[in-house]
Amino acid sequence: MKKGILFLVGVIFSLSCFSQTMLDSVQQLDEVVLKSDRYLKTFSNTQKVETLKDTILSKSAPSLTQLLNYNSNIYFKENGLGMVSSPSFRGTTAQQTVVAWNGININSQFNGQTDFNTINIRNFDAVSVRSGGGSVLYGSGAIGGSIHLNNDIAFNEGFKNSIYANYGSFNTLDVGVKSGFSSEKFSVDVAINRSSSDNDYDYVDSDKTNLNGAFYNQSVSANFGYKINKKNVLKLYSYLYDGEREFSFIFPSETPTKYQDFNSRNMLEWNGLYGKFISTLKLAYLTEQYKYFANSNLDTYSFGEAKTLIGKYDLSYRVFKDAMLQGVVDITNTSGEGSSIGEKERTISSFSLLYKQEMKSFLYEAALRKEITSNYDSPLLYSLGLQYQFGKHYTINVNGSKNFRIPTYNDLYWEGSGNTNLKPETSNQVEMSHQLDFKYLSFSATGFYNDIKDMIRWLPTGSNWQPVNTDHVESYGLETALDFKYSLKDHQFSLGGTYAYTISKNKDTDLQLIYVPKHKATATFNYQYNRADFYYQTLYVGEVLTLQDDDPKYILDAYFVSNIGLTYALGKEKQFTLGAQIKNLYNKNYQSVANRFMPGINYNFYLNINF
Amino acid sequence: MKKQFKFLAFTLFFGLLITSCSNDDDSSNGDTNLGDYDNGYFVLNEGNGNPATASITFVGDDGIIVEDVFRLVNPAAEEIGSYLQDIFFDDTRAFIISGSANQVTVVNRYTFEYIATINTNFSAPRYGTVENGKAYVTNSADWSTGADDFLTIIDLNDYSTTTMIVGDYSEKITSDDDYVYISNGYYGSGNAVTVLNTNTQELTSIDLGVGNSPNSIIEEDDDLYLLSYDYASNGKIFKINTITNTIENTIDLPASLVGAKNLVIEDDTFYFTVDASVYSASMSSTTISDTALLTYNSTSTYGVMYGFNVEDDKIYISDGGDFNSNSNVYEYALNGTLLNTITVGVGPNSFHFN
Repeated sequence: MKKGILFLVGVIFSLSCFSQTMLDSVQQLDEVVLKSDRYLKTFSNTQKVETLKDTILSKSAPSLTQLLNYNSNIYFKENGLGMVSSPSFRGTTAQQTVVAWNGININSQFNGQTDFNTINIRNFDAVSVRSGGGSVLYGSGAIGGSIHLNNDIAFNEGFKNSIYANYGSFNTLDVGVKSGFSSEKFSVDVAINRSSSDNDYDYVDSDKTNLNGAFYNQSVSANFGYKINKKNVLKLYSYLYDGEREFSFIFPSETPTKYQDFNSRNMLEWNGLYGKFISTLKLAYLTEQYKYFANSNLDTYSFGEAKTLIGKYDLSYRVFKDAMLQGVVDITNTSGEGSSIGEKERTISSFSLLYKQEMKSFLYEAALRKEITSNYDSPLLYSLGLQYQFGKHYTINVNGSKNFRIPTYNDLYWEGSGNTNLKPETSNQVEMSHQLDFKYLSFSATGFYNDIKDMIRWLPTGSNWQPVNTDHVESYGLETALDFKYSLKDHQFSLGGTYAYTISKNKDTDLQLIYVPKHKATATFNYQYNRADFYYQTLYVGEVLTLQDDDPKYILDAYFVSNIGLTYALGKEKQFTLGAQIKNLYNKNYQSVANRFMPGINYNFYLNINF
Repeated sequence: MKKQFKFLAFTLFFGLLITSCSNDDDSSNGDTNLGDYDNGYFVLNEGNGNPATASITFVGDDGIIVEDVFRLVNPAAEEIGSYLQDIFFDDTRAFIISGSANQVTVVNRYTFEYIATINTNFSAPRYGTVENGKAYVTNSADWSTGADDFLTIIDLNDYSTTTMIVGDYSEKITSDDDYVYISNGYYGSGNAVTVLNTNTQELTSIDLGVGNSPNSIIEEDDDLYLLSYDYASNGKIFKINTITNTIENTIDLPASLVGAKNLVIEDDTFYFTVDASVYSASMSSTTISDTALLTYNSTSTYGVMYGFNVEDDKIYISDGGDFNSNSNVYEYALNGTLLNTITVGVGPNSFHFN
């Protein structure tokens, strides 16, 4: 591993000597290099990428679940507010959605997924949703799609500070401070957040209360940027997260349980612009640790702990004015252990080649990736995308890719059960999208087909359980999005909506997978007048099977939930914003997981100060 | 033993409680009909953690099948919990144990009308019995140790509870004539039986010897019968004299019968199961044949012979299925002829005759 990284460093040094051309452009630097997750811009042209920024983030509750539930096609299965939350993106499983932090895949080494209620969005400048396969770019698990948590490093903006405080029902507190300074050469920003809740809401139409549901989480992020000269930029991203959650009861006399997790992420990045070459070296060190208390009253717990070191080198070369060739070498070394996993280390190397060409109205991008590891046989992954623009208003994209999900630590190394002969799950998929853009209106529709083989499931073998490559799932569907914006003097209107139709079937049973709704829709209407801003937001989730049995008593009903909010800006420069929100306006009694009731009508108030 | 623990820890990790059937019911009250659910049997569907999947199916002697009896009779009552573990009876009442909810729901055993919910002093309750005006329920508490296993003692007049430490793996339980008998075996761990004198509250442990972990316990004509369980070798049937509290007789099962469980005694005959097969032997015989009485077809990967019982002239088998959909009960004649197949709920684990 160390050797590999040294080798990479060597390559770049020789490269910076070799290329002496002065075709450097400041604009290129800002546009391409200062984004931590460049692939979202450079190699995601033929797939849908939706970026949620400030205005949407500040109106959302701090959990990633709530943000995406109301603003994307992704369906969430949430064990009650703030509890374990797993996504289903295009009808896939939680392990088939990647969460990437500044371009680095952060799904758990143990179970291969991210609990979306353990991500606090306040530390990030933008959250992007990239639909469809992305294993070539983001590695294991990017089958349904990927979620990107990104920090931007800004220069030349002076001091920028903000304070955010939100208080609401169930003693829910969400506070944060962000402070940043940047000059022409130097940039720093630090953000601290804490979110907590007693989460003891009363169930609607019942005399019961959500018991043992309290949680808190706190996080710190610090990001630095330094322009060494016109050609070289250094960046450092750091993040710490500490959270504790109780797991709420279904029955009041259950044994109380709780869960703690602690994650740290650090990444050093060096960008170099050498004429036709752009070189990026990333070194990242990530840790994840969890403790599960099967009885909160006792000190005993089970745990898992993993440390991951990543070295990644990426070199792009502008072959023609309109064509870019990119090569990537990547080495990931993970060592982990847990209550039922002896200390294990694994190293995965990967090589990727990417090519993109943009002609007048035609664009194509192609990528290949091959991983090398002793742990499992890794398939050759690829992605091919085409885009054609018919005039100014109409664009067609076609994309096909092969993606995978590798076996996790639990799958491979669980004491007495782990199966080291597992293959990765593989997905072959195609999609086609139509995009219409007009002055006030844009509309997109994407049809997709995804064939997922060798899905890993734990089955018993004698007295023991072992994971095996068994399931074969076929998903297909349609995703649509509509955006309308209109301004008249001081009045601004906007309307955004999404609708997804998803079929995801186990080929053996021919039944829809459990907890995958066929229909999901979201809509947000926003009206702004001078300093006032009003919005109305609604979510529809169709019925879901909770068992592999279509007996109606095991089907969870569809639900419609709506929120409204109002903000008002004060101060000369509108630097103070006061906001109030009413959630679940119609006091609907709904569950996203059977018998996990969600709160009825509830309120919160917030203040945002920028200075 | 360690391996069994891991297996167990893992099943828990996935939220599946493996249970086996109980056979603690002495039934039948003659010909009078005391309610809609008299004269038939209940199938306990433990469910898969989602409370909607935890239910009780009634099968009447006349062939009538009633799904989800509890909710049908008591639509507004407190829920019965999930991971339904056992039902036990006194003369008029049925007691339904939920392992995850740490509660016992009391209903009228003939009408199934809700009476009360008892939810104090339980920690992963397992099985129960009634003796001397009180109910005794075993509790696993922390799964990884037997040292904290205890009994919840329920006063059946006011449903108040107290506890008593057993200090050894406490699973199946039965009782007779002021004595309560607890089988101290848990998936290969533990190898004793504990006797509680309900008058003096005195506990006596009877050692079955290393490797003899009991999985079934039956009191019959003042003797106690236990079947020991082993993943790797053939089990044994123990006969214990309840007056002297000593092992009176031991019968080894044939070497080919590994992992025997579900001991039932009916009409002076032993019945037990190995995998998907049922075996029987006269109680007076000294050896046991390894020829199966019947073998049923199961595609279940971990719910084969999930529930088993014999009552009068029928053999009852429930299949766990995939724990993710409704499953089946099979009724066989004593000669091994399949009589009926009945669709029940999720994870049917035991039969209780009324």
